[in-house]
Amino acid sequence: MFSKKAVTLMIVLATSLSLLLSACGPKTPVSPPPPAAGTTAPVATEAPAQPKKVVTLIFTQEPDTLNLHYTNMWFSAILQQLWNRWAWEYDENNNPFPVLVAEMPSVENGGLSADGTILTLSLRDDIIWSDGEPITADDFVFTWEMANAPTNTVASAYPYSEAVSVEAPDPQTVVVTFAEPFAPWLYFFHGILPKHVLQPIFDAEGTLDNADWNTNPTVGAGPFDFAEWESGSYLRFVRNDNYWGDKPKVDEIFIRIVPDDASQIAALTAGDGDVGIFIAYPDIPTLEGAGINVVKVFSGYNEGWYFNMGQNGHPALQDVLVRQALAYGTDRFIINQDLLLGKTVPAATFWDGSPWADPTLMAYPYDQQMANNLLDQAGWVDSNSDGTRDKDGVELILRYGTTTREIRKDTQAVIQQQLAEIGVGIELYNYESDLFFDTFGNGGPVATGKYDIAEWSDLPGGFPDPDTAYWRCAEIPSDDSPQGVNWEFICDQELEDLFALQSTQVDTAARIETFHQISRIIFEKVYWLGIWQDPDIWAVGSRLANVKLSGVTPFFNAAEWDINP
Amino acid sequence: MTRYIVRRLLQAIPLMFFISLVLFVMMRNMGDPLATMGGRTMTRSEDRARLTRQLGLDKPIIVQYVYWLIGNDWTKIDMDGNGVAETPGTRKGILRGDFGLSLVNRKSAMQVIMERLPNTLILMLTAEVVIITGSLLIGIYAALRQYSFTDNLVTTLSFIGYSMPIFFVALGLMYIFSVNFKAWGLPYLPTVGMFDPQIGKTFWQTVWHMILPVITIALTSFAANSRYVRSTMLEALSQDYIRTARSKGLPRRSIVFVHALKNASLPIITVVGLDLPFLLGGAIVTERIFAWPGMGRLFLDHVSRGDTPVVMGILMLIAISVIAFQIITDIVYAWLDPRIRYN
Repeated sequence: MFSKKAVTLMIVLATSLSLLLSACGPKTPVSPPPPAAGTTAPVATEAPAQPKKVVTLIFTQEPDTLNLHYTNMWFSAILQQLWNRWAWEYDENNNPFPVLVAEMPSVENGGLSADGTILTLSLRDDIIWSDGEPITADDFVFTWEMANAPTNTVASAYPYSEAVSVEAPDPQTVVVTFAEPFAPWLYFFHGILPKHVLQPIFDAEGTLDNADWNTNPTVGAGPFDFAEWESGSYLRFVRNDNYWGDKPKVDEIFIRIVPDDASQIAALTAGDGDVGIFIAYPDIPTLEGAGINVVKVFSGYNEGWYFNMGQNGHPALQDVLVRQALAYGTDRFIINQDLLLGKTVPAATFWDGSPWADPTLMAYPYDQQMANNLLDQAGWVDSNSDGTRDKDGVELILRYGTTTREIRKDTQAVIQQQLAEIGVGIELYNYESDLFFDTFGNGGPVATGKYDIAEWSDLPGGFPDPDTAYWRCAEIPSDDSPQGVNWEFICDQELEDLFALQSTQVDTAARIETFHQISRIIFEKVYWLGIWQDPDIWAVGSRLANVKLSGVTPFFNAAEWDINP
Repeated sequence: MTRYIVRRLLQAIPLMFFISLVLFVMMRNMGDPLATMGGRTMTRSEDRARLTRQLGLDKPIIVQYVYWLIGNDWTKIDMDGNGVAETPGTRKGILRGDFGLSLVNRKSAMQVIMERLPNTLILMLTAEVVIITGSLLIGIYAALRQYSFTDNLVTTLSFIGYSMPIFFVALGLMYIFSVNFKAWGLPYLPTVGMFDPQIGKTFWQTVWHMILPVITIALTSFAANSRYVRSTMLEALSQDYIRTARSKGLPRRSIVFVHALKNASLPIITVVGLDLPFLLGGAIVTERIFAWPGMGRLFLDHVSRGDTPVVMGILMLIAISVIAFQIITDIVYAWLDPRIRYN
């Protein structure tokens, strides 16, 4: 039908166009290709070139920046240990260990004053930036100054805003002074900024907001150097030959951005990636079947219910008996077993999995009879025989909202059915997370009390530090405080006093005891109901060796990673 | 013709203002970019209040639109929260070529868009060439053999492709030709990305990684386009001038490709002309599944984080392209059909 000429013309046209566009695209050759099979080595006496050791990580979200002070993204933060190590980091058991400091500060070694108001760091004397400049106390002071500079739109000024001063009496000593004892001091000095690189930029522009270093950090303090970042596609880190610690065993860490969960599984299974994260529970058997190790890492998250006990909430939720009935009336064990394949268990407290939770507390068992008794006792009975309990003409129908995450929608459906069996009606609502978590000031659905039960997964803000603002009285949102995060609208004075106390306790044992009391109150009064413990699920390919993962600084031992021969 | 083009361009100016205002208002009501800032937890209330002020999100929406349009370098901003505006604004506004800074990574919104545009053009133009070529081949072949077995077979197959959701086609192809082919010991295609990090970003790596995404886009587009070609060709082939050409003994190839196809191509050009500007928007689902770093993914990622400067930049780029390509289509029309005159 077509002449060969016409067909050839079409093919040439298509190929030429592709070629032209490729030429127009980003020209960042990643690395010289390995010698093609069958080619002869140029010099017979040279040892054959070893193939590059490249570890490919798959991220389902693209980091927004590499400057830790400008991001809340977990995917940005976890890259830090590859290229810019912290004062201290956390091991696979989430225990802190010194990195840039010679030893962990403590009252015993004088690093922490007895009254908890002065923190003194002794830096190692062998630490250097990747350009060879020494890392000194001035870099720490500069970091504190930049976090607090009003012209920098940093994501969070906390905890730097809590320090009265940060000083450098000598190049190896950093002294932090607080107005009051500051218990969460471990949250300090993540993401140290190189003063010799960034001070001139700040002086010239008055801000670090637009510094090229934020997305193209030419200088770092980690085992790998940042090499390049192609938007939406990949980030590449190569071995830092100037690294002050043990030299990394692999040549390159390649971060591939794969936003689709199913594609991530396919890529891991096909060997196009070595490490994946946020594996959905139903995908675990597929990966294990392909010989990929699935690793659960506790990262502080627990999925749970937040009850609306404010004016807009259902009146039944004011009664602790009703809240306890909801705890007994929902079979969270079967949800964990069926929807989460038995890979996790119901959380008893907001601090489950950490020493801050009272270990004697066990998740409420599923007991329909107990739930019915409690509701009867609270006066909620089905007086009009419509299948739903009521009291004083008010039906016990609760609005249950959460995000659009699939596992949450499945959970909603199961719980709706379970609670119907004890005469509690449930209306379901789902929102995209940026709408769901919108503020009171912007009319966010949870913040303005449009739901009686809201579900999400969270951790203490400075994990592994246990402090949280969720139940603080001053955080109840209002017109005067539209950004408040106490969306349960609870102000329990006993709880308030304990939260205030713990924030000043630098004695860890005493603080743990305070948190045991806090977790017990929240548990008994059911201010929060755990649905499941929410560990991070990692997939680690079988060709990788020595991989340990932390829940706080996942890549803390990246320099030790290797590839099995 | 020149007057026509100038008139169309002048008409586009108020239209662009209207479109931009509507899109801006919609965008700013699609959630709070500071709610989680892409993280797994809510932003601390103190930081949220500070960032709202520093980024100008506390201003009335019409003021934010004015800043986006003409910049804020004529006014001052309260950066330190003491109630006194002390820091001069730095934005120039879209009318002076400044699309603003991305709320996600603080890079220039235009830079963010331009980093992705080449990748989308590589994928989408290649796919469009494959679609047009394939649709012409299928459509003309089917028109010349109307109601034959081959016509019915091609029609059926193309409609199977058309009726399947694109994510299903994409994942199906990926699992068959990448995961399963590897498991079966056959040569297999890559699953995601634009190149193998062990080899590097070369021309052939890009071509190799583009095969599955291009096939995915093409499979779901062949049906509509080939049916369109078929029907316009059938209409052209039934015209008197074709009968005259045949009776004069012109070669069949000349009748089909010179006389019939040229006249049948007018409505096809309309369809292609309207399609082209949307190529800039990329293929959201295909790019997401194959991890192709194009505009579709950029749009999706930044919409979900309420990044008004980048999303508005993409939308305005598409809006301008739609207007530009409509004018180009009209010009091509006049070139192909001498009877058309724009007065």
